[in-house]
Amino acid sequence: MPVGDAFTPDQLFDIERAVRNAEVASGLHFSVYVGGADSETRPFAQELLNELDDPDHTVLVYVDPAGRRLEIVTGAEAKRQLSDTAAGLAALTMQTSFATGDLTGGLVTGVQQLGANAHQAPLLHANEPHKQ
Amino acid sequence: MTPQLAGHTLWVFVGIPVLVIAVVTLLVFASSIASGPRYRPGLSWWAPPVWINGPVATKPDPASLPELPGASSAPAAAGAGVARTTGGASASW
Repeated sequence: MPVGDAFTPDQLFDIERAVRNAEVASGLHFSVYVGGADSETRPFAQELLNELDDPDHTVLVYVDPAGRRLEIVTGAEAKRQLSDTAAGLAALTMQTSFATGDLTGGLVTGVQQLGANAHQAPLLHANEPHKQ
Repeated sequence: MTPQLAGHTLWVFVGIPVLVIAVVTLLVFASSIASGPRYRPGLSWWAPPVWINGPVATKPDPASLPELPGASSAPAAAGAGVARTTGGASASW
């Protein structure tokens, strides 16, 4: 069995850039975890989310390559911006790439899609009606 | 047939084809050799966990990962709070 890191530095850079772009677009925190779970993946992913600094405003993408499972967990406030339907569409995108063995491409595309779907248009003239 | 001619024939009909095959094989596998092991669905996963944009206080070290639900010990105290209700989606491939 080959031994090594899951991603090359270039691949890590691509994923981190996608995460940053998604955070800028949505105002939410994004976190990506790639690794195995000894038990059910969904509770494990929720535990990972709770480990983060601001779980309510965070979207966690959990990928279990060995178990071939993907979980997208949205915090309580993040769920308002990113519906379960939108998360499901992003999951479908990632699922397609993962099935062909492209972990990096799936994560980059999926995270970007999550960030775009969670994007909120700025409210114009909401608090300052005197400004045009 | 002189030995010199035989050697020349051997080189043309065996040596050069073998050389060409070796070069083509090297070119085909060069990219995968350079990029290292690749994820193949259905085979076991070899790499340690990676947590991108994870908790500030913790590193993606297996020893510092949170306990699974149902375990006796409480989760690590790195997190600032617990998400109230969560949403999201699941998929498998």
